[in-house]
Amino acid sequence: MGIASYINDIKHTVASTFEGMSITFSHLVRKPMTIQYPDKIPVPIQETLPHRYRGILEVDLDICTGCLACERICPITCITIGIEMDKETKQRQFTAFDIDVCKCMYCGLCSEVCPTGAIRHSQEFEGASYNPAGLVRHFAPQPQNLYKPKKGGETEPKLIAKVEIGGKYLAEFATPDGGVEAEKE
Amino acid sequence: MSQAAQAETGFYTEDMTISVGPQHPSTHGVLRFVVKTDGEVISEAIPDVGYLHRSIEKIGEKVTYHGYVPYTDRADYLAAMFANQAFCMAAEKLAGTEVTRRGEFCRVIACELNRIASHLISVGTFGQDIGAMTPFVHALRERETINNLMEEICGARLTYNYIRIGGVGYDILPETCTRILEFLDHFEPIVEEFNRLLSGNKIFHERLAGVAVISKEDAFSYNLVGPNLRGSGVKWDIRRDMPYSVYPELDFEVPIGMAEIGQLGDSYDRFWVRIREMRESVKILRQCLRMMPKGPAIAKVPRKFRPPAGECYARVEAPRGDMGFYVVSDGSEYPYRVRIRTGSYTAMAIIDKLSKGIMVADLIALIGSLDVDAPEIDR
Amino acid sequence: MQAYIDQLMQQGAFQGMPKEVVYAIAMVVVALVVLSAFVAPLAGVTSWLERRVWARMQSRIGPNRVGPQGILQWLADGIKNLLKEDLIPAAADGKLFSLAPYVVFMGFLCTFVVIPFGEHLIVADLNIGILYILAVTSLVVVGILMAGWASNNKWSLLGGMRSAAQIVSYEIPAGLAILCVVFLAGTLSMQGIIKAQGWGPWDWFMFHNPFTFCAFFLYFTAALAEGNRTPFDIPEAESELVAGYVTEYSGMRFLFFFFAEWGNLYVIGAVATTLFMGGWRVPPLPIFESFPVLKGIAQFVVFFLKAYFWVFVAMWIRATLPRVRVDQLMALCWKYMVPLSFVCLLGTVGFMFMDAQMQRVFGAITLGFAIATIINFFRRVAFQIREAKPEMYLKPQI
Repeated sequence: MGIASYINDIKHTVASTFEGMSITFSHLVRKPMTIQYPDKIPVPIQETLPHRYRGILEVDLDICTGCLACERICPITCITIGIEMDKETKQRQFTAFDIDVCKCMYCGLCSEVCPTGAIRHSQEFEGASYNPAGLVRHFAPQPQNLYKPKKGGETEPKLIAKVEIGGKYLAEFATPDGGVEAEKE
Repeated sequence: MSQAAQAETGFYTEDMTISVGPQHPSTHGVLRFVVKTDGEVISEAIPDVGYLHRSIEKIGEKVTYHGYVPYTDRADYLAAMFANQAFCMAAEKLAGTEVTRRGEFCRVIACELNRIASHLISVGTFGQDIGAMTPFVHALRERETINNLMEEICGARLTYNYIRIGGVGYDILPETCTRILEFLDHFEPIVEEFNRLLSGNKIFHERLAGVAVISKEDAFSYNLVGPNLRGSGVKWDIRRDMPYSVYPELDFEVPIGMAEIGQLGDSYDRFWVRIREMRESVKILRQCLRMMPKGPAIAKVPRKFRPPAGECYARVEAPRGDMGFYVVSDGSEYPYRVRIRTGSYTAMAIIDKLSKGIMVADLIALIGSLDVDAPEIDR
Repeated sequence: MQAYIDQLMQQGAFQGMPKEVVYAIAMVVVALVVLSAFVAPLAGVTSWLERRVWARMQSRIGPNRVGPQGILQWLADGIKNLLKEDLIPAAADGKLFSLAPYVVFMGFLCTFVVIPFGEHLIVADLNIGILYILAVTSLVVVGILMAGWASNNKWSLLGGMRSAAQIVSYEIPAGLAILCVVFLAGTLSMQGIIKAQGWGPWDWFMFHNPFTFCAFFLYFTAALAEGNRTPFDIPEAESELVAGYVTEYSGMRFLFFFFAEWGNLYVIGAVATTLFMGGWRVPPLPIFESFPVLKGIAQFVVFFLKAYFWVFVAMWIRATLPRVRVDQLMALCWKYMVPLSFVCLLGTVGFMFMDAQMQRVFGAITLGFAIATIINFFRRVAFQIREAKPEMYLKPQI
């Protein structure tokens, strides 16, 4: 090992250490990027998430038509829907709409195939529970009639807002004739 | 001590058998190596895989094509887009579906962003294995911004289910395109700062120069792919040599190892190839954002997807090399067989050969430089 | 203190015990109380400072919840570790396993006896002060080897062996660098070395001549290696050996090792300040002549801050540099640092034969070089901040 390479080694070590130390010092004086969740933030994180965010599933049973498309397409069979004919009113009713949140993959396939947007991903992500039973969400606590979509748009005032929300959620997905989305400025 | 030396001096020693992993801070994922060492020098390192096996290939036989796409995310969760894309390409080839032009561009944008994210983790954890803990956190900080972008595009941060059969699941809005451009402007100087902090460091060079050299012949015979292959000087990139999607229209370089310090094919070359690939991805992203056409982002694909019977192999250039999906269809709506070929699995084979005669610290550097990833190995 | 004990004995306490025994017991009690009450919070606050400094260098916030700005984090960690199950592996050598942390702790605690916190604030001004420190810190090797062997774990053994080689080798450049200063001061005693320096940077041994400037950096690097700090933290390298020689330890025993490490950082800083930076020397302001108590406090504060600055530099280096490999570590010591320290020693000795005028000239040149380096450093920091554009948050509401 010649004298020149020996001195070069020392010079390179000192120079690169100096450079590295200047970079870490510059970070010391910059603002850190930590968000001190959950208490030292101005707005709850849920409100800052984008509309497309695939959080925990929620179902608006008032506009669910009971088509079972979501149950069929779920790749991990986490949705269980029970529909029965009510003897007196001759109407079909939901007896159960259970989603096993710990099985759910958050893939979004069920919300894509829903015709009204009743099942959709919310912005909720805090789903911890003290026992596994708490992780199964029951969306039909009592029997409820199926929704029948009216031709020519919804007329009942309570349901108009819900149908709109569902429609807005469905509009996020790309569609084969979705040139509109791309043209929108 | 060697046998000859032992016999000569009459001083008998025994090799020590250590188990590196499966719980170890720096095997990437759950991996185990059974290592026989003589003091600090390794005589044999045998990989023991299978701790993260989740039967993803078998699951492919039980779910529909559309339902299988989220499972492909988990085949390599650090580079989820590429697995999505490879499977969708295979399914499209089987059914003869053509992807819309805007869909192709969205795919490339998402994939290149994911490539940057995956390489950030790769070089960050590599630095941490060598001992530099700060560049790792800086790399993660940049990856957080990419995760936020992906959240805006497709709603998820790690397992995207974004690339669907026939195109993409969500369209990329103009606001998101602006934000991606802002991120790219912010990111390029950060890579330079990362280089000044870590890649130019003398101790880093000393640890990696000439360590675990993979020659061209070895790289071919052990079937290495991706930056591992390119680090040994072989100019092979699926995007350039077996092009798919819109890559033929994009202008980018394929970085190969150039033996800047030490020998060609050593650990530093592989690391440096990854850094340069990040810069190339930034170039590709800028071009795509400029060239993106208007139109639908997904083609019309039936909900009950039933491709005709046949078989098909589709490969993409994932951050860890060539990821290939071999899909056999028997005409029904469930695939008959799905087989995933990943770069990390074949890279495990060369570890035993390279680890003869190196020290334990070099073994960790070797595993980090090969960027093996447990979910890819075990699927 | 002796007068107080005499008074107590006259009043009838300690009947039937010889005077020497009483003195000995009193010394031990006072030493334990003072050192533990001072050293324990010192090591704890050093650990908090390390985590905060590290975190800010990594663009994140460190612990900031327990107490104001998180300063009581070490108390929380200590209590948590005390409450943990005391595990001794079944096949481990129980007695050696239990004893090892205490040996390591002793190795560093004994050095506090000769650290000069002020002109009169020193427990015992031994006339072999610095030699005593070098000798006592070698106890740490024994403790680490015991830990490595007694754990009955191959990872620990590897860590212990590496550490023994490392610490023993780096004693030599450290000792040689210290020898430069001892020649200049003419005494081994800590207070004597400080008294040979002045209060201003031009009077410190660090800037006395270019050779002592080099000797300072050699000493600092060797001391980092002795304290098992990055870039030389191979014995406890997290990513390679799980946790090196502390793998099998849990609870308070684990904490003792790290206690010793953080406390050792302070000792490194204190010794560096004493030998090279003028120790507790304060400017001769008239207010100090009128209020000697103020002078004492000022001396203590000055010494503490100077020592802590070097602690901060050690943490800074830990955040920046990767780890060297074991054989490179040995090569660095024997091929680079030992020859350089011999050169520094001979240079310093030769320097002492020059006349005073030339010495002052060289001193000024060295000081000027150091100031130029510091200015260059801050310019480089400004460059880094300009280059990498400010952090970007994609969630503007936060």
